[in-house]
Amino acid sequence: MPSLLLRPHASLSHAEALQVAQQAPEILRKNPASYSASPLFSLFSPPESSNTWTIYENLLLACLRTGDNTTARQCLERLVVRFGGSDERIEALKGLVKEAEATNDGELEKVLKEYEEILAKDNTNVPIAKRRIALLRAMGKTAESIEALVQFLDFSSTDAEAWMELADLYLSQGLYAQAIYAQEEALTIAPNAWNLHARLGEVLLMAAESGSEGNPQNYLAESLKRFCRSIELSDDYLRGYYGLKRVTDKLLAANSKGKKPSESDEFTLPETSTIEKLNQAATKKLGDIVRKYDAKDPLWQGYDAGEVAAARTYLSESSQKVLR
Amino acid sequence: MAWLSRPLTLVGLVILAHGCYSAHEHTVLSSTSVQHPTSPSATSLPLDIYIETIAATVLICLGLVLGSGAPQPIQWHTWAGKIEREGDAGSGDADKETLGNPFNALEARSGFININKLHKDFVKYQQLGK
Repeated sequence: MPSLLLRPHASLSHAEALQVAQQAPEILRKNPASYSASPLFSLFSPPESSNTWTIYENLLLACLRTGDNTTARQCLERLVVRFGGSDERIEALKGLVKEAEATNDGELEKVLKEYEEILAKDNTNVPIAKRRIALLRAMGKTAESIEALVQFLDFSSTDAEAWMELADLYLSQGLYAQAIYAQEEALTIAPNAWNLHARLGEVLLMAAESGSEGNPQNYLAESLKRFCRSIELSDDYLRGYYGLKRVTDKLLAANSKGKKPSESDEFTLPETSTIEKLNQAATKKLGDIVRKYDAKDPLWQGYDAGEVAAARTYLSESSQKVLR
Repeated sequence: MAWLSRPLTLVGLVILAHGCYSAHEHTVLSSTSVQHPTSPSATSLPLDIYIETIAATVLICLGLVLGSGAPQPIQWHTWAGKIEREGDAGSGDADKETLGNPFNALEARSGFININKLHKDFVKYQQLGK
């Protein structure tokens, strides 16, 4: 299954990662240890494609995740043979292997020092800068990590991945306003990313539920817009419809309690009838998705089993409420 | 309708070749015949050759269009919805790269991966499985 090997590794589940790691020895055996530039050799060896190196990188990550450090080293060696040890990306991968092999905090500190030495020579080394931020976060130094990431974004402000990481860091600290700002920056870079729209909707919903700062009504209105945009960008998007149902349920509950939205709202809420229609549409669509997934329709099997289960529970909960 | 494609294209090609041959023969004959060197019928082709050529072209086009597979979605939301519904299993052919949502990388954030935490979670997961 080559598609598992090509997907970004961090999005795989544990079972999938194990499956990938188990393929590693076979792939290492099948592919030659090095590719020759001579045209004569390339006639007899399997073709080298850009995917080859993505696969090696993902294998490396999967092996580290499953604790198979020797195979991981083999993958790294091949990458070093191909790209040289001083390549930025390879340097970051080397650091990653060292991080995984470190057994205590002292060794992690050493790896961090190495990163800082590399950055002292060239402070625009993007992969190493990212590793340093990630390592700081892993060691629990969240504040330093945020500071480093903000500095990183000063010189690389079109890096959507870094903006998303910043949003995640802020979110882990409960700083919703900052997290929302970072997410919006990521969205200006990737405006068509339907999952980022849904994610922003989720963060806004969390902000509204925590109710610590700002007007929750504003957050809900904005969240409604984000979920609507995500399903506009992608038909049958389970996450978008799920979020839409949550938000509209909340808004309708607030309306029925008779809480009038204040006049000075930055975002004006749509009319109650519109919200009701959206809610019905979301309920219908969620029901459709769950039914088709359960019926093992071959064209509807791309959903995450956990997400479908969550939608099923939520649907049955809300239908019970209606019955009462 | 796919089975119609090849016969249609083939028949179209044969008719087209026949039309070309007729046109060629006609010009050769009319240039060698000396009776009416200046009459308009000698220089212009008869109508049936025109009709034959046009009909053959239409047939070939029809055959080729019928034979091409189902078109890929060109609208963003249809395309994205297809990815969401079908996931990796959707595409039958292996060489086509379907990796799910291309923006998933932004949420997975491989550059900031925390390998030690992933490894610890994995060990926990394995212990649960046993």
